[in-house]
Amino acid sequence: MSKAKFTEVEFMICLAARAIEDNKTVFIGYGMPQIAAILAQRLYAPGICQVYEYGAIGPQVATPFMRNMMADARNSYRSFCWTTMNTMMAHASSGFIDYGILGAAQIDPFGNINSTMIGGTYERPKIRFTGSGGGNEVASLCWRTIILMEHEKRRFVERPDFITSPGYLDGSPNAREDAGLPRNTGPYRLITSIATFDFDSQTHRMRLTGMRESVTKEFALQNMGFEPLVADKLETLATPTTEELKMLREVIDPHRVVIGRVGE
Amino acid sequence: MKVIAAGEGEVKLTDADEIRQWRRTQKTRALTDKVIDEHEAVSRFVHDGDYVSYDLSSMVRGPMSLEREIIRQKKRNLWLAAKFTLLDSTILVAGGCVSKLDVGFAGLGRTLFAAIESGRVKTIDWSNGTLALRHLAGAMGVPFLPTRALAGTDTFKRSGAKVVEDPFTGKKVCLVPAVHPDVAIIHVNQSDRSGNARVFGPSITPLETATASKNVIISAEELISTEEIRRNPGLTTIPYYLVDAVVLAPYGAHPGTVPGLYTYDSEHLAEFFSAQDDASMQKYLDKYVYGTKSHTEYLELIGKERLLKLRENETIREGYYK
Repeated sequence: MSKAKFTEVEFMICLAARAIEDNKTVFIGYGMPQIAAILAQRLYAPGICQVYEYGAIGPQVATPFMRNMMADARNSYRSFCWTTMNTMMAHASSGFIDYGILGAAQIDPFGNINSTMIGGTYERPKIRFTGSGGGNEVASLCWRTIILMEHEKRRFVERPDFITSPGYLDGSPNAREDAGLPRNTGPYRLITSIATFDFDSQTHRMRLTGMRESVTKEFALQNMGFEPLVADKLETLATPTTEELKMLREVIDPHRVVIGRVGE
Repeated sequence: MKVIAAGEGEVKLTDADEIRQWRRTQKTRALTDKVIDEHEAVSRFVHDGDYVSYDLSSMVRGPMSLEREIIRQKKRNLWLAAKFTLLDSTILVAGGCVSKLDVGFAGLGRTLFAAIESGRVKTIDWSNGTLALRHLAGAMGVPFLPTRALAGTDTFKRSGAKVVEDPFTGKKVCLVPAVHPDVAIIHVNQSDRSGNARVFGPSITPLETATASKNVIISAEELISTEEIRRNPGLTTIPYYLVDAVVLAPYGAHPGTVPGLYTYDSEHLAEFFSAQDDASMQKYLDKYVYGTKSHTEYLELIGKERLLKLRENETIREGYYK
Protein backbone atom coordinates (compact mmCIF):
# COMPACT_ATOMS: atom_id res chain seq x y z
CA MET A 1 0.00 0.00 0.00
CA SER A 2 1.53 3.29 -1.03
CA LYS A 3 1.87 6.03 1.54
CA ALA A 4 -1.37 8.01 1.75
CA LYS A 5 -1.26 11.44 0.20
CA PHE A 6 -4.40 12.60 1.97
CA THR A 7 -5.94 12.33 5.42
CA GLU A 8 -8.88 10.09 6.25
CA VAL A 9 -10.93 13.17 6.98
CA GLU A 10 -10.09 14.58 3.55
CA PHE A 11 -11.22 11.32 1.99
CA MET A 12 -14.57 11.38 3.79
CA ILE A 13 -15.11 15.04 3.01
CA CYS A 14 -14.43 14.55 -0.70
CA LEU A 15 -16.81 11.59 -0.92
CA ALA A 16 -19.51 13.52 0.89
CA ALA A 17 -19.00 16.56 -1.34
CA ARG A 18 -19.44 14.37 -4.42
CA ALA A 19 -22.58 12.77 -2.96
CA ILE A 20 -24.41 16.08 -2.50
CA GLU A 21 -26.90 16.77 -5.29
CA ASP A 22 -26.97 20.23 -6.81
CA ASN A 23 -29.96 22.52 -6.29
CA LYS A 24 -31.02 20.81 -3.08
CA THR A 25 -31.34 22.03 0.49
CA VAL A 26 -28.77 20.53 2.86
CA PHE A 27 -28.94 20.65 6.67
CA ILE A 28 -25.36 20.91 7.90
CA GLY A 29 -24.01 19.50 11.19
CA TYR A 30 -20.87 20.60 13.05
CA GLY A 31 -17.33 19.93 11.76
CA MET A 32 -16.72 17.65 8.76
CA PRO A 33 -20.18 18.28 7.25
CA GLN A 34 -19.45 22.01 7.15
CA ILE A 35 -16.26 21.51 5.13
CA ALA A 36 -17.93 18.94 2.85
CA ALA A 37 -20.73 21.38 2.04
CA ILE A 38 -18.31 24.20 1.25
CA LEU A 39 -16.25 21.91 -1.00
CA ALA A 40 -19.39 20.71 -2.78
CA GLN A 41 -20.55 24.27 -3.29
CA ARG A 42 -17.18 25.40 -4.69
CA LEU A 43 -16.55 22.43 -7.01
CA TYR A 44 -19.63 20.38 -7.79
CA ALA A 45 -22.91 21.76 -6.60
CA PRO A 46 -22.95 25.57 -6.71
CA GLY A 47 -26.72 25.62 -6.39
CA ILE A 48 -27.03 23.85 -3.03
CA CYS A 49 -28.67 25.79 -0.24
CA GLN A 50 -26.92 25.14 3.07
CA VAL A 51 -29.16 25.46 6.09
CA TYR A 52 -28.05 25.64 9.72
CA GLU A 53 -30.03 24.97 12.87
CA TYR A 54 -29.05 28.37 14.28
CA GLY A 55 -31.08 30.11 11.62
CA ALA A 56 -28.84 30.72 8.59
CA ILE A 57 -30.36 29.81 5.21
CA GLY A 58 -28.11 29.68 2.16
CA PRO A 59 -24.85 31.22 3.41
CA GLN A 60 -21.79 31.43 1.22
CA VAL A 61 -19.52 30.54 4.11
CA ALA A 62 -16.40 32.72 4.31
CA THR A 63 -13.11 30.87 4.12
CA PRO A 64 -10.56 30.10 5.48
CA PHE A 65 -12.45 27.99 7.98
CA MET A 66 -11.67 28.82 11.61
CA ARG A 67 -11.74 26.60 14.69
CA ASN A 68 -15.24 26.13 16.19
CA MET A 69 -16.75 28.24 13.43
CA MET A 70 -20.51 28.05 13.86
CA ALA A 71 -23.20 30.75 14.03
CA ASP A 72 -20.62 33.50 13.68
CA ALA A 73 -20.32 36.13 10.96
CA ARG A 74 -18.09 34.01 8.73
CA ASN A 75 -20.33 30.95 8.84
CA SER A 76 -23.46 33.04 8.22
CA TYR A 77 -21.90 35.17 5.48
CA ARG A 78 -24.06 36.28 2.56
CA SER A 79 -27.11 34.17 3.51
CA PHE A 80 -30.50 34.48 1.87
CA CYS A 81 -32.24 34.64 5.20
CA TRP A 82 -31.42 34.85 8.89
CA THR A 83 -34.04 33.40 11.18
CA THR A 84 -34.23 31.28 14.34
CA MET A 85 -34.07 27.63 15.36
CA ASN A 86 -37.81 26.93 15.56
CA THR A 87 -38.15 28.13 11.95
CA MET A 88 -35.30 25.93 10.73
CA MET A 89 -36.71 22.85 12.45
CA ALA A 90 -40.14 23.72 11.02
CA HIS A 91 -38.65 23.77 7.52
CA ALA A 92 -37.17 20.32 8.08
CA SER A 93 -40.39 19.05 9.66
CA SER A 94 -42.56 20.33 6.83
CA GLY A 95 -40.47 18.62 4.15
CA PHE A 96 -38.34 21.42 2.69
CA ILE A 97 -34.95 19.96 3.57
CA ASP A 98 -33.63 17.30 1.19
CA TYR A 99 -30.38 16.21 2.82
CA GLY A 100 -28.86 16.21 6.25
CA ILE A 101 -25.17 15.58 6.88
CA LEU A 102 -24.08 14.35 10.31
CA GLY A 103 -21.11 12.89 12.14
CA ALA A 104 -21.43 9.94 14.56
CA ALA A 105 -19.52 8.33 17.45
CA GLN A 106 -21.22 4.93 16.97
CA ILE A 107 -23.59 3.46 14.42
CA ASP A 108 -25.63 0.23 14.36
CA PRO A 109 -26.71 -2.02 11.42
CA PHE A 110 -29.84 0.08 10.85
CA GLY A 111 -28.09 3.43 10.83
CA ASN A 112 -29.08 4.48 14.35
CA ILE A 113 -26.52 6.96 15.68
CA ASN A 114 -25.00 7.36 19.12
CA SER A 115 -23.51 10.72 20.05
CA THR A 116 -24.53 10.76 23.72
CA MET A 117 -22.58 8.31 25.90
CA ILE A 118 -20.58 5.05 26.02
CA GLY A 119 -20.23 2.55 28.88
CA GLY A 120 -21.39 2.61 32.50
CA THR A 121 -24.96 3.69 33.08
CA TYR A 122 -26.88 6.63 31.70
CA GLU A 123 -26.56 8.39 35.06
CA ARG A 124 -22.83 7.61 35.39
CA PRO A 125 -21.55 7.10 31.84
CA LYS A 126 -17.97 5.98 31.28
CA ILE A 127 -17.61 8.51 28.49
CA ARG A 128 -20.10 11.28 27.96
CA PHE A 129 -20.39 13.12 24.63
CA THR A 130 -22.30 16.21 23.62
CA GLY A 131 -25.68 14.56 23.00
CA SER A 132 -28.01 15.24 20.13
CA GLY A 133 -27.44 18.89 19.40
CA GLY A 134 -29.61 19.29 16.33
CA GLY A 135 -28.69 15.79 15.17
CA ASN A 136 -31.93 14.16 16.26
CA GLU A 137 -33.96 16.64 14.22
CA VAL A 138 -31.70 16.27 11.19
CA ALA A 139 -31.90 12.47 11.28
CA SER A 140 -35.65 12.51 12.01
CA LEU A 141 -36.84 15.16 9.60
CA CYS A 142 -34.62 15.55 6.52
CA TRP A 143 -35.51 13.38 3.53
CA ARG A 144 -32.09 11.75 3.30
CA THR A 145 -29.34 11.61 5.90
CA ILE A 146 -25.68 11.21 4.99
CA ILE A 147 -23.51 10.07 7.91
CA LEU A 148 -19.74 10.52 8.16
CA MET A 149 -17.70 8.35 10.54
CA GLU A 150 -14.15 7.03 10.94
CA HIS A 151 -13.98 3.34 10.01
CA GLU A 152 -13.16 1.77 13.38
CA LYS A 153 -14.41 -1.53 14.75
CA ARG A 154 -15.56 0.00 18.05
CA ARG A 155 -17.77 2.47 16.21
CA PHE A 156 -19.79 -0.20 14.34
CA VAL A 157 -21.84 -1.82 17.07
CA GLU A 158 -24.72 -4.28 17.00
CA ARG A 159 -26.33 -2.45 19.92
CA PRO A 160 -25.21 1.09 20.67
CA ASP A 161 -25.08 2.18 24.30
CA PHE A 162 -27.50 4.93 23.39
CA ILE A 163 -29.53 5.77 20.30
CA THR A 164 -29.30 9.53 20.03
CA SER A 165 -30.66 10.04 16.52
CA PRO A 166 -32.87 7.64 14.62
CA GLY A 167 -31.86 5.47 11.71
CA TYR A 168 -34.29 2.75 10.69
CA LEU A 169 -34.77 1.90 14.41
CA ASP A 170 -35.33 -1.91 14.65
CA GLY A 171 -35.24 -2.21 10.85
CA SER A 172 -38.85 -3.40 10.52
CA PRO A 173 -40.52 -2.15 7.32
CA ASN A 174 -42.36 0.87 8.76
CA ALA A 175 -40.39 1.29 11.96
CA ARG A 176 -39.86 5.03 11.56
CA GLU A 177 -43.43 5.85 10.63
CA ASP A 178 -44.74 3.53 13.34
CA ALA A 179 -42.70 5.46 15.90
CA GLY A 180 -44.20 8.76 14.75
CA LEU A 181 -41.38 9.96 12.46
CA PRO A 182 -42.10 11.32 8.96
CA ARG A 183 -42.66 8.77 6.20
CA ASN A 184 -39.98 7.96 3.59
CA THR A 185 -37.11 9.47 5.54
CA GLY A 186 -33.97 7.89 6.95
CA PRO A 187 -30.24 7.23 6.52
CA TYR A 188 -29.17 7.35 2.89
CA ARG A 189 -25.41 6.82 2.89
CA LEU A 190 -22.71 6.10 5.41
CA ILE A 191 -19.31 7.36 4.34
CA THR A 192 -16.31 6.12 6.35
CA SER A 193 -12.58 6.67 6.07
CA ILE A 194 -12.26 3.61 3.79
CA ALA A 195 -15.71 2.60 2.54
CA THR A 196 -19.25 3.55 1.62
CA PHE A 197 -22.54 1.96 2.56
CA ASP A 198 -26.19 2.34 1.69
CA PHE A 199 -29.20 0.74 3.37
CA ASP A 200 -31.12 -2.14 1.81
CA SER A 201 -34.55 -0.97 0.73
CA GLN A 202 -36.30 -4.08 2.11
CA THR A 203 -34.42 -4.96 5.30
CA HIS A 204 -33.01 -1.48 6.00
CA ARG A 205 -29.75 -3.16 6.91
CA MET A 206 -26.48 -1.42 6.19
CA ARG A 207 -24.88 -2.62 2.94
CA LEU A 208 -21.25 -2.25 1.87
CA THR A 209 -21.16 -0.63 -1.57
CA GLY A 210 -17.55 0.38 -2.11
CA MET A 211 -14.01 0.59 -0.78
CA ARG A 212 -11.19 3.00 -1.25
CA GLU A 213 -8.67 1.78 -3.82
CA SER A 214 -6.18 -0.72 -2.35
CA VAL A 215 -8.58 -1.52 0.52
CA THR A 216 -10.00 -5.05 0.42
CA LYS A 217 -13.54 -6.07 1.26
CA GLU A 218 -12.13 -8.32 3.99
CA PHE A 219 -10.27 -5.42 5.60
CA ALA A 220 -13.37 -3.24 5.60
CA LEU A 221 -15.48 -6.02 7.14
CA GLN A 222 -12.85 -7.02 9.71
CA ASN A 223 -12.95 -3.51 11.05
CA MET A 224 -16.64 -3.59 11.86
CA GLY A 225 -18.38 -4.86 14.98
CA PHE A 226 -21.17 -6.47 12.95
CA GLU A 227 -21.65 -7.98 9.54
CA PRO A 228 -23.32 -5.72 7.01
CA LEU A 229 -24.87 -6.84 3.74
CA VAL A 230 -22.49 -6.65 0.79
CA ALA A 231 -23.52 -5.34 -2.62
CA ASP A 232 -23.10 -7.70 -5.59
CA LYS A 233 -20.88 -5.23 -7.32
CA LEU A 234 -18.48 -3.23 -5.18
CA GLU A 235 -17.33 0.15 -6.37
CA THR A 236 -13.73 1.35 -6.13
CA LEU A 237 -13.89 4.76 -4.52
CA ALA A 238 -11.74 7.41 -6.12
CA THR A 239 -9.28 9.05 -3.74
CA PRO A 240 -9.24 12.84 -3.40
CA THR A 241 -8.21 14.55 -6.61
CA THR A 242 -5.49 17.16 -6.88
CA GLU A 243 -8.13 19.79 -7.46
CA GLU A 244 -10.10 18.76 -4.35
CA LEU A 245 -6.99 18.72 -2.17
CA LYS A 246 -5.84 22.08 -3.47
CA MET A 247 -9.25 23.60 -2.72
CA LEU A 248 -9.34 22.04 0.75
CA ARG A 249 -5.77 22.87 1.76
CA GLU A 250 -5.24 26.22 0.14
CA VAL A 251 -8.66 27.83 0.21
CA ILE A 252 -11.17 26.21 2.54
CA ASP A 253 -9.15 24.93 5.50
CA PRO A 254 -5.54 26.14 5.21
CA HIS A 255 -5.19 26.10 9.03
CA ARG A 256 -6.10 22.37 8.86
CA VAL A 257 -8.67 22.81 11.61
CA VAL A 258 -10.86 19.98 10.37
CA ILE A 259 -8.94 18.22 7.57
CA GLY A 260 -5.74 17.63 9.57
CA ARG A 261 -2.32 16.94 8.08
CA VAL A 262 -0.96 13.84 6.39
CA GLY A 263 1.17 11.82 8.80
CA GLU A 264 -0.39 13.25 11.96
CA MET B 1 -55.52 11.56 24.73
CA LYS B 2 -53.96 8.11 24.87
CA VAL B 3 -50.31 8.09 26.00
CA ILE B 4 -48.42 5.43 24.04
CA ALA B 5 -44.91 5.99 25.36
CA ALA B 6 -43.44 8.29 27.99
CA GLY B 7 -39.87 9.49 28.52
CA GLU B 8 -38.49 9.07 32.04
CA GLY B 9 -36.76 12.43 32.30
CA GLU B 10 -37.61 14.88 35.04
CA VAL B 11 -39.54 17.86 33.73
CA LYS B 12 -39.86 21.24 35.34
CA LEU B 13 -43.59 21.82 35.02
CA THR B 14 -45.22 25.15 35.69
CA ASP B 15 -48.92 25.80 35.61
CA ALA B 16 -49.76 28.07 32.67
CA ASP B 17 -52.35 30.00 34.69
CA GLU B 18 -49.92 30.58 37.53
CA ILE B 19 -47.49 32.05 35.00
CA ARG B 20 -50.23 34.24 33.55
CA GLN B 21 -51.01 35.53 37.02
CA TRP B 22 -47.31 36.20 37.63
CA ARG B 23 -47.17 38.22 34.45
CA ARG B 24 -50.25 40.15 35.48
CA THR B 25 -48.96 41.10 38.91
CA GLN B 26 -45.15 41.00 38.71
CA LYS B 27 -44.27 42.41 35.29
CA THR B 28 -44.70 46.12 34.79
CA ARG B 29 -46.07 47.52 31.54
CA ALA B 30 -44.77 50.96 32.39
CA LEU B 31 -41.82 52.16 30.36
CA THR B 32 -39.52 52.33 33.37
CA ASP B 33 -35.76 52.63 33.55
CA LYS B 34 -34.51 49.08 34.20
CA VAL B 35 -30.79 49.68 33.91
CA ILE B 36 -28.85 48.18 36.84
CA ASP B 37 -25.39 46.65 37.12
CA GLU B 38 -24.75 42.93 36.72
CA HIS B 39 -24.20 42.45 40.44
CA GLU B 40 -27.66 43.74 41.30
CA ALA B 41 -29.33 41.98 38.35
CA VAL B 42 -27.94 38.59 39.29
CA SER B 43 -28.55 38.97 43.02
CA ARG B 44 -32.15 40.07 42.43
CA PHE B 45 -33.17 37.68 39.67
CA VAL B 46 -31.03 34.54 39.89
CA HIS B 47 -31.64 32.25 42.86
CA ASP B 48 -30.27 28.90 43.97
CA GLY B 49 -32.25 26.10 42.32
CA ASP B 50 -33.52 28.28 39.47
CA TYR B 51 -34.11 27.00 35.95
CA VAL B 52 -31.92 29.20 33.74
CA SER B 53 -32.02 29.69 30.00
CA TYR B 54 -29.77 31.75 27.74
CA ASP B 55 -29.91 32.46 24.06
CA LEU B 56 -27.59 31.81 21.15
CA SER B 57 -24.36 30.40 22.29
CA SER B 58 -21.87 27.92 20.89
CA MET B 59 -19.37 30.75 21.30
CA VAL B 60 -21.59 33.41 19.83
CA ARG B 61 -23.42 36.19 21.66
CA GLY B 62 -23.64 34.18 24.89
CA PRO B 63 -24.28 36.18 28.11
CA MET B 64 -20.78 35.54 29.44
CA SER B 65 -20.55 38.61 31.69
CA LEU B 66 -23.76 37.58 33.49
CA GLU B 67 -22.52 34.00 33.76
CA ARG B 68 -19.26 35.14 35.33
CA GLU B 69 -21.32 37.14 37.85
CA ILE B 70 -23.47 34.08 38.60
CA ILE B 71 -20.24 32.20 39.38
CA ARG B 72 -18.92 35.07 41.53
CA GLN B 73 -22.13 35.09 43.55
CA LYS B 74 -21.83 31.31 44.00
CA LYS B 75 -25.33 30.50 42.83
CA ARG B 76 -25.96 26.78 43.29
CA ASN B 77 -28.11 23.94 41.95
CA LEU B 78 -29.13 25.71 38.78
CA TRP B 79 -30.99 23.70 36.15
CA LEU B 80 -29.79 24.81 32.73
CA ALA B 81 -31.41 24.62 29.34
CA ALA B 82 -28.26 23.65 27.43
CA LYS B 83 -29.49 24.22 23.90
CA PHE B 84 -26.91 24.96 21.22
CA THR B 85 -24.29 25.71 23.83
CA LEU B 86 -20.60 25.41 24.34
CA LEU B 87 -19.05 28.05 26.56
CA ASP B 88 -22.08 28.76 28.73
CA SER B 89 -22.83 25.32 30.13
CA THR B 90 -19.12 24.59 30.39
CA ILE B 91 -18.20 27.62 32.51
CA LEU B 92 -21.30 27.41 34.73
CA VAL B 93 -20.66 23.73 35.43
CA ALA B 94 -16.98 24.49 36.06
CA GLY B 95 -18.08 27.20 38.49
CA GLY B 96 -20.05 24.63 40.48
CA CYS B 97 -23.35 26.40 39.82
CA VAL B 98 -25.20 23.61 38.03
CA SER B 99 -26.85 20.41 39.24
CA LYS B 100 -29.05 19.58 36.23
CA LEU B 101 -28.63 20.00 32.49
CA ASP B 102 -31.44 19.72 29.97
CA VAL B 103 -29.19 18.69 27.12
CA GLY B 104 -29.59 19.78 23.61
CA PHE B 105 -25.83 20.01 23.13
CA ALA B 106 -24.07 19.50 26.47
CA GLY B 107 -21.02 21.68 25.94
CA LEU B 108 -17.34 20.91 25.59
CA GLY B 109 -14.24 20.08 27.59
CA ARG B 110 -13.13 17.58 30.20
CA THR B 111 -14.44 19.60 33.15
CA LEU B 112 -18.00 19.42 31.87
CA PHE B 113 -17.95 15.77 30.84
CA ALA B 114 -16.18 14.71 34.06
CA ALA B 115 -18.93 16.43 36.06
CA ILE B 116 -21.53 14.36 34.22
CA GLU B 117 -19.54 11.11 34.37
CA SER B 118 -19.03 11.44 38.13
CA GLY B 119 -22.74 12.02 38.68
CA ARG B 120 -22.24 15.54 40.07
CA VAL B 121 -24.35 16.94 37.24
CA LYS B 122 -27.52 15.14 36.24
CA THR B 123 -28.47 15.16 32.58
CA ILE B 124 -31.88 15.01 30.99
CA ASP B 125 -31.35 14.47 27.28
CA TRP B 126 -33.51 16.27 24.74
CA SER B 127 -32.33 17.81 21.46
CA ASN B 128 -31.66 21.39 20.44
CA GLY B 129 -34.88 21.47 18.44
CA THR B 130 -37.14 20.06 21.15
CA LEU B 131 -35.67 22.39 23.77
CA ALA B 132 -36.32 25.31 21.41
CA LEU B 133 -39.87 24.03 20.94
CA ARG B 134 -40.41 23.78 24.70
CA HIS B 135 -39.47 27.45 24.96
CA LEU B 136 -41.91 28.26 22.15
CA ALA B 137 -44.69 26.41 24.01
CA GLY B 138 -43.81 28.38 27.13
CA ALA B 139 -43.87 31.59 25.12
CA MET B 140 -47.28 30.76 23.66
CA GLY B 141 -48.81 30.02 27.04
CA VAL B 142 -49.81 26.53 25.93
CA PRO B 143 -48.92 23.41 27.95
CA PHE B 144 -47.13 21.49 25.17
CA LEU B 145 -46.40 21.35 21.46
CA PRO B 146 -46.12 18.40 19.06
CA THR B 147 -42.96 17.48 17.13
CA ARG B 148 -42.21 14.99 14.37
CA ALA B 149 -38.71 14.40 15.81
CA LEU B 150 -37.37 12.64 18.93
CA ALA B 151 -39.63 9.53 18.87
CA GLY B 152 -38.14 6.04 18.67
CA THR B 153 -34.79 6.92 20.27
CA ASP B 154 -33.08 6.72 23.66
CA THR B 155 -33.02 10.50 23.56
CA PHE B 156 -36.82 10.29 23.74
CA LYS B 157 -36.65 7.74 26.59
CA ARG B 158 -34.38 9.99 28.68
CA SER B 159 -36.37 13.13 27.93
CA GLY B 160 -39.66 14.05 29.52
CA ALA B 161 -41.57 13.89 26.22
CA LYS B 162 -44.58 11.65 25.55
CA VAL B 163 -45.80 9.92 22.41
CA VAL B 164 -49.59 10.06 22.17
CA GLU B 165 -52.31 9.18 19.70
CA ASP B 166 -53.16 12.33 17.74
CA PRO B 167 -56.86 12.90 18.56
CA PHE B 168 -57.47 14.21 15.04
CA THR B 169 -55.79 11.58 12.87
CA GLY B 170 -55.13 8.64 15.20
CA LYS B 171 -51.44 8.68 14.20
CA LYS B 172 -48.64 8.74 16.73
CA VAL B 173 -47.17 12.10 17.62
CA CYS B 174 -44.56 13.21 20.13
CA LEU B 175 -45.41 16.00 22.58
CA VAL B 176 -42.95 18.15 24.48
CA PRO B 177 -43.98 20.12 27.56
CA ALA B 178 -43.68 23.89 27.83
CA VAL B 179 -40.79 25.22 29.86
CA HIS B 180 -40.98 28.43 31.87
CA PRO B 181 -37.45 29.27 32.97
CA ASP B 182 -37.22 31.15 36.26
CA VAL B 183 -34.78 33.46 34.61
CA ALA B 184 -33.55 34.15 31.09
CA ILE B 185 -30.17 35.77 30.51
CA ILE B 186 -29.89 37.16 27.00
CA HIS B 187 -27.06 39.17 25.50
CA VAL B 188 -28.12 41.57 22.75
CA ASN B 189 -26.56 44.07 20.41
CA GLN B 190 -28.63 47.06 21.50
CA SER B 191 -31.31 47.85 24.06
CA ASP B 192 -33.05 50.93 25.38
CA ARG B 193 -33.20 51.50 29.13
CA SER B 194 -36.58 49.75 29.38
CA GLY B 195 -35.53 46.58 27.58
CA ASN B 196 -36.67 47.07 24.00
CA ALA B 197 -33.85 44.96 22.64
CA ARG B 198 -32.30 44.27 19.27
CA VAL B 199 -30.53 41.09 18.26
CA PHE B 200 -28.67 41.29 14.95
CA GLY B 201 -28.08 38.11 13.00
CA PRO B 202 -29.45 34.57 13.08
CA SER B 203 -30.23 33.13 16.50
CA ILE B 204 -31.72 30.30 18.49
CA THR B 205 -34.72 31.46 20.53
CA PRO B 206 -34.24 35.01 21.82
CA LEU B 207 -37.90 36.00 21.73
CA GLU B 208 -39.26 32.60 22.80
CA THR B 209 -36.84 32.44 25.73
CA ALA B 210 -37.63 35.98 26.87
CA THR B 211 -41.38 35.41 26.58
CA ALA B 212 -41.42 32.01 28.28
CA SER B 213 -39.37 33.06 31.32
CA LYS B 214 -40.59 34.49 34.62
CA ASN B 215 -37.76 37.02 34.78
CA VAL B 216 -35.53 38.31 32.03
CA ILE B 217 -32.12 39.94 32.31
CA ILE B 218 -30.88 41.61 29.14
CA SER B 219 -27.21 42.46 28.82
CA ALA B 220 -26.46 44.81 25.97
CA GLU B 221 -23.36 45.79 24.04
CA GLU B 222 -24.83 49.24 23.69
CA LEU B 223 -27.67 51.32 25.17
CA ILE B 224 -29.71 53.30 22.67
CA SER B 225 -32.61 55.71 23.10
CA THR B 226 -36.27 54.74 23.00
CA GLU B 227 -36.57 57.32 20.24
CA GLU B 228 -34.09 55.30 18.17
CA ILE B 229 -36.14 52.15 18.86
CA ARG B 230 -39.32 53.88 17.69
CA ARG B 231 -37.61 55.05 14.48
CA ASN B 232 -36.97 51.46 13.39
CA PRO B 233 -39.34 49.12 15.24
CA GLY B 234 -38.77 46.32 12.75
CA LEU B 235 -35.35 45.84 14.33
CA THR B 236 -36.74 45.18 17.81
CA THR B 237 -36.44 41.50 18.75
CA ILE B 238 -37.68 41.66 22.36
CA PRO B 239 -40.28 44.21 23.52
CA TYR B 240 -39.74 45.96 26.87
CA TYR B 241 -42.56 44.45 28.97
CA LEU B 242 -40.92 41.02 28.81
CA VAL B 243 -37.79 42.42 30.42
CA ASP B 244 -36.96 42.99 34.12
CA ALA B 245 -33.39 44.26 34.03
CA VAL B 246 -31.05 45.82 31.50
CA VAL B 247 -27.31 45.60 32.09
CA LEU B 248 -24.79 47.50 30.00
CA ALA B 249 -22.09 45.00 29.02
CA PRO B 250 -19.77 45.93 26.18
CA TYR B 251 -17.83 42.81 25.17
CA GLY B 252 -20.38 40.91 27.24
CA ALA B 253 -19.92 37.77 25.13
CA HIS B 254 -16.11 37.71 25.53
CA PRO B 255 -14.27 35.36 24.90
CA GLY B 256 -17.00 34.52 22.38
CA THR B 257 -17.98 36.69 19.45
CA VAL B 258 -20.79 39.10 18.76
CA PRO B 259 -21.06 38.79 14.97
CA GLY B 260 -20.44 42.01 13.10
CA LEU B 261 -18.92 43.65 16.18
CA TYR B 262 -15.99 41.65 17.51
CA THR B 263 -14.56 38.26 16.76
CA TYR B 264 -13.69 35.32 19.06
CA ASP B 265 -10.71 35.75 21.37
CA SER B 266 -8.98 32.58 20.17
CA GLU B 267 -6.05 32.95 22.56
CA HIS B 268 -8.34 33.25 25.55
CA LEU B 269 -10.52 30.37 24.36
CA ALA B 270 -7.43 28.20 24.04
CA GLU B 271 -6.55 29.08 27.64
CA PHE B 272 -10.08 28.22 28.79
CA PHE B 273 -10.33 24.93 26.95
CA SER B 274 -6.81 23.86 27.88
CA ALA B 275 -7.96 23.81 31.52
CA GLN B 276 -8.61 20.07 31.44
CA ASP B 277 -8.87 19.28 35.14
CA ASP B 278 -10.39 20.77 38.27
CA ALA B 279 -7.15 22.37 39.43
CA SER B 280 -6.37 24.16 36.17
CA MET B 281 -10.00 25.20 35.76
CA GLN B 282 -9.94 26.58 39.31
CA LYS B 283 -6.86 28.58 38.35
CA TYR B 284 -8.68 29.96 35.33
CA LEU B 285 -11.72 30.91 37.42
CA ASP B 286 -9.53 32.45 40.15
CA LYS B 287 -7.81 34.64 37.63
CA TYR B 288 -10.69 35.75 35.44
CA VAL B 289 -13.87 35.37 37.50
CA TYR B 290 -13.16 35.47 41.25
CA GLY B 291 -10.15 37.70 40.66
CA THR B 292 -12.29 40.44 39.15
CA LYS B 293 -15.14 42.13 41.00
CA SER B 294 -17.13 43.18 37.98
CA HIS B 295 -17.35 43.00 34.21
CA THR B 296 -15.52 46.34 34.05
CA GLU B 297 -12.60 44.88 36.02
CA TYR B 298 -12.67 41.77 33.84
CA LEU B 299 -12.33 43.92 30.72
CA GLU B 300 -9.43 45.81 32.32
CA LEU B 301 -7.71 42.49 32.94
CA ILE B 302 -8.20 41.40 29.33
CA GLY B 303 -6.84 44.77 28.24
CA LYS B 304 -8.03 47.51 25.95
CA GLU B 305 -5.53 46.78 23.21
CA ARG B 306 -6.60 43.17 22.95
CA LEU B 307 -10.29 44.10 22.92
CA LEU B 308 -9.82 46.67 20.17
CA LYS B 309 -7.95 44.08 18.15
CA LEU B 310 -10.97 41.76 18.37
CA ARG B 311 -13.09 44.54 16.95
CA GLU B 312 -10.63 45.13 14.12
CA ASN B 313 -10.49 41.42 13.36
CA GLU B 314 -14.23 41.23 12.80
CA THR B 315 -14.07 42.31 9.18
CA ILE B 316 -17.62 41.28 8.29
CA ARG B 317 -20.16 43.91 9.26
CA GLU B 318 -22.71 43.57 6.49
CA GLY B 319 -26.03 42.29 7.68
CA TYR B 320 -25.36 43.38 11.25
CA TYR B 321 -24.30 47.03 11.18
CA LYS B 322 -24.30 49.57 8.37
